[in-house]
Amino acid sequence: MGRAIKMETPPLAPLSKSVQRVAILGLIFFVWALAIALRLLQLQVFQHDKYRHLADIQQEKLDHIQAPRGAIFDRNGNYLAISSEVPIVTVNPLRMPDKDTAAGLLASVLHLDKQEIFSDLVSAAARHRGYLIVDSDASQAEVDAIRKLNLDWVDIRKGTARSYPNGQLAAHVIGNVNAEGVGIAGVERKLDKDLRGTAGLARITTDVHRQGYDSEIEKAPVVGKNVTLTIDSRLQFIAEREIAEAVTREHAERGSIVAMNPYTGDVLALANYPTYDLNEKMKPGSRFYGREDYAVVAPFEPGSVFKVVTLTAALETTNIRPSTLIDCGNGSIRIANRIVHDSHPHGILSAADVLAKSSNVGAIRIGMAVGNANLLKYIHLFGFGHRTGIELPAEAPGLVRPLSRWGPTSIGSVPMGQEVSVTSVQLAEAGSVIANGGFLVRPRVVLSEQEPGGQKIERARPKPVRVLKPQTAFTMHQLMERVTLPGGTGPRAHVLGYTTAGKTGTAQIFDTAHHLYTHRYNASFLGFAPVANPAIVVVVTVSGTTAFGATASGPAFKNVMSEALRLMGVPRDLPDEIKEPPDNKVQPKGQEDDLAIADAANPLTPEELQRALGDPSDDGAIQVVRAQNVVAPQAPDFIGKTIKGVMEEATAKGVQVDMKGRGLARAQRPEPGAALLPGEHVRVLFMR
Amino acid sequence: MGAPRIARTTDWYLLAITLVICSLGVLQIYSATHATKWEDAWWKQVVFVAGGLILMWVVTQIDYHALLGQVVPMYALSIALLLVTMVVGNKVFGSTRWIRVAGFTLQVSEFVKIVIILLVARFLSDLKAGQKLEWRDLAKLCALVGVPMLLVMKEPDLGTSLTYIPILVCGILMAGLRWKYLLIVAAALLICLPIGYHFLKPYQKDRLASFVDPERDPKGTGFQVIQSRIAVGNGGMWGRGVTQGSQTHLGFLPVPQTDFIFSSFAEEHGFVGVVVALVLYFLLIMQIVQNAQTAGDREGVYICMGIGALVLFHVLVNVGMVVGRMPVAGIPLPLMSSGGSNVLSMFLMLGLVNSVRLRRLVS
Repeated sequence: MGRAIKMETPPLAPLSKSVQRVAILGLIFFVWALAIALRLLQLQVFQHDKYRHLADIQQEKLDHIQAPRGAIFDRNGNYLAISSEVPIVTVNPLRMPDKDTAAGLLASVLHLDKQEIFSDLVSAAARHRGYLIVDSDASQAEVDAIRKLNLDWVDIRKGTARSYPNGQLAAHVIGNVNAEGVGIAGVERKLDKDLRGTAGLARITTDVHRQGYDSEIEKAPVVGKNVTLTIDSRLQFIAEREIAEAVTREHAERGSIVAMNPYTGDVLALANYPTYDLNEKMKPGSRFYGREDYAVVAPFEPGSVFKVVTLTAALETTNIRPSTLIDCGNGSIRIANRIVHDSHPHGILSAADVLAKSSNVGAIRIGMAVGNANLLKYIHLFGFGHRTGIELPAEAPGLVRPLSRWGPTSIGSVPMGQEVSVTSVQLAEAGSVIANGGFLVRPRVVLSEQEPGGQKIERARPKPVRVLKPQTAFTMHQLMERVTLPGGTGPRAHVLGYTTAGKTGTAQIFDTAHHLYTHRYNASFLGFAPVANPAIVVVVTVSGTTAFGATASGPAFKNVMSEALRLMGVPRDLPDEIKEPPDNKVQPKGQEDDLAIADAANPLTPEELQRALGDPSDDGAIQVVRAQNVVAPQAPDFIGKTIKGVMEEATAKGVQVDMKGRGLARAQRPEPGAALLPGEHVRVLFMR
Repeated sequence: MGAPRIARTTDWYLLAITLVICSLGVLQIYSATHATKWEDAWWKQVVFVAGGLILMWVVTQIDYHALLGQVVPMYALSIALLLVTMVVGNKVFGSTRWIRVAGFTLQVSEFVKIVIILLVARFLSDLKAGQKLEWRDLAKLCALVGVPMLLVMKEPDLGTSLTYIPILVCGILMAGLRWKYLLIVAAALLICLPIGYHFLKPYQKDRLASFVDPERDPKGTGFQVIQSRIAVGNGGMWGRGVTQGSQTHLGFLPVPQTDFIFSSFAEEHGFVGVVVALVLYFLLIMQIVQNAQTAGDREGVYICMGIGALVLFHVLVNVGMVVGRMPVAGIPLPLMSSGGSNVLSMFLMLGLVNSVRLRRLVS
């Protein structure tokens, strides 16, 4: 290489040869070029559509545009639920580099709890969820602050927040929505489709980081319908106050009030206690406390209220008239092998008095006169055993046994409201049949729906059906009025200034776990006023109290009814000078005792109780708390125990014992482990 | 050897094709970087092309024989600069390829190409005419080319180092190699390939694996391959239009103005545009070969053919990579890809071709 360049350049002849050799190289390059050209032809011409599609799908995403949810109003046009647009802060837990730092950052910027965010992030990441709503009610300042951080795992979306201006007012009717804006209870759930509207669709061009670059609206969202309820907020407020007062005063577990217009079916108030604030979000895993709409989802044995049905059936199908005398057998009657007692023995009562004084024996005698088939027919005519069709989710149909399942002692139970189960709404519906002169009118909570910018349109509903002769209904008005007069079981329910009709009921709660009737009651009152031309039907149920029907439910009934009549502007039909009977003295002890003393031989089985709730799958029932162990109780092994030990165990297991002797338990009957019949006592013999 | 006689014999045809290709490049750089952080890249490219034209003119004026006479110091300087690059070079994307000179970053390996071309031309033309290559010469030439190749490979910049091979192969074939040798070398290469694989960097292995199966890691190493293919296919027959390529502008082609400029070009100009561009390259190469055929001496032929082979290799590897027929090698598209060193070295080479042409009529 170090040599100087040769000046005598060789002739060019060998070059042509070398060009030939280079042609080999040229050939290789040519084949190579051809392959590339063919490839280009394939990609750009023959498979263009495929690659165009591939480009489109990675460059576009379709995004839903949430439609504003319709508002809910009460019957007077007051807002019960409204939606407003709010920013929602969402994060992608899978993309964030360090969850602990991220949680700290989010907590400080959004003023939230760090630990809570951190655990949410971890659990979301564990489920491989790339989407988590961190804050659905962030202020604009907070949103601006988080935007400024420019984090690629944070996304701020537009969402709608549902707010309930009146808090817990009509909570069980209105219901609420979950974080995704889907109705989960009440009308919000039942009419979710109408309220929700139709989501729109936006086509968004995205860059390689899936960030929006440009967007066009593919389909505009359709705003949801506005819904007007039949609820009157003023009456609803009173009803809620009264049921809360009654439940707390009577140390009961819960209670419901339903106030219904008997002609239209409009439910003016539907209150349950315990209740909850609709604006309070339910945390995952938190208790369901207060969220159940007992008036609709929880059937119970109605007790003496049901005597109304028995007597109505008697008036229509037998020759029993109000004045017909009924032998009340001095307070007891034997049906098959079962003896039913009246809490207060009566000799001979008129049919009218059987209702007014709520004689069990009298009701059973009347029921026997009516007969199983006719009684069942009237139970169905009053609407029991079927859903009322009220626009609330998870309605229970209650339970009415078919004739084939009536036992020999059933006629001793059904006429006084045992072996059947009903809901408060069904009771209101049945009360309306009598109040409105014999029509079955379906209760409803939705008055009308309104398309955005359109007319208010009433929802279609079944026509009232005549089920009773008018005269039967009017006779029943008179008979039920006597209940609230001195000498009846429910003077406490008498409304000042108005003639009032009603019926008390006290049903022992059957404990399915221990298969016996307890001494806690469902105390209820069903009534309407004024008697001559009833304006409203009110049903009050207080459950789990130790007090009887009129004591527990009467005052609430009276207060709600008088408020309702005042609101509706119903003129008084009694002179003012008739004073309200003072609560404490008028009624002699025992007179109010309309207890359906039972020890029923054929109480509702757990399966039937389950069935009474209805098939939850048909509209996704809210879980109802119910007794768990449905196994028949067994006699415990008391042998060898002290008296104290036996008593403790008996109490714990809910078994009743008869003890004899002293010392240690030496013998017992039935044997340990034997199944106990309902109400059966275990006899234990103690010896030293 | 006579001095240049007729300045008017500049290859205007070659220059015209070159400038058309450069214009397409500038247009495409403008389009691809429109509204991105590289927005001024097209303007820089214009400056580089202008600078390149001046360099081309300067080289044209120099007798290539004088340059061949200076091959030894140039070769030594190349090795030295490559070593300097290794020590003080700018590290970008994990590889040290650039050195900073007076505010510019220079990619030494691009300019070493020219030295290699001159080296091969000098070495082979020094051999006796008509005589085929002997083992000794072959080994010597390979070693001379091999040293800078290895240095560039170490940067690491496999792509650029591979571009030295077509120069060598083309020269050897022209010098006349015994078929026996050729077969032996081919066999040796085939045996060496799997061994060589083990010396590749992990990222290079990934690129090879992604070439074989891009879907293996569609979000990682296969990303460029897949997205480039989609961009090309998305262009269709007529293309999406200037600044309308969605793949280009939504960030699916990372750094679309450099090695992958052809994907962007194919997306926006379609099959028709691609055919036009490739025909232009074909004409350019044929014109270089034409100049080789009319060269006045063997040195001139070797220089032109070396350059021709190099340009062809660049185009085929780059376009092959863009359409998914070649692994991602980091080889720019000559005269179109944005980048100063590549443009300048291309113009220097075209200056050499012109120099050879000017001196074709030996007195």
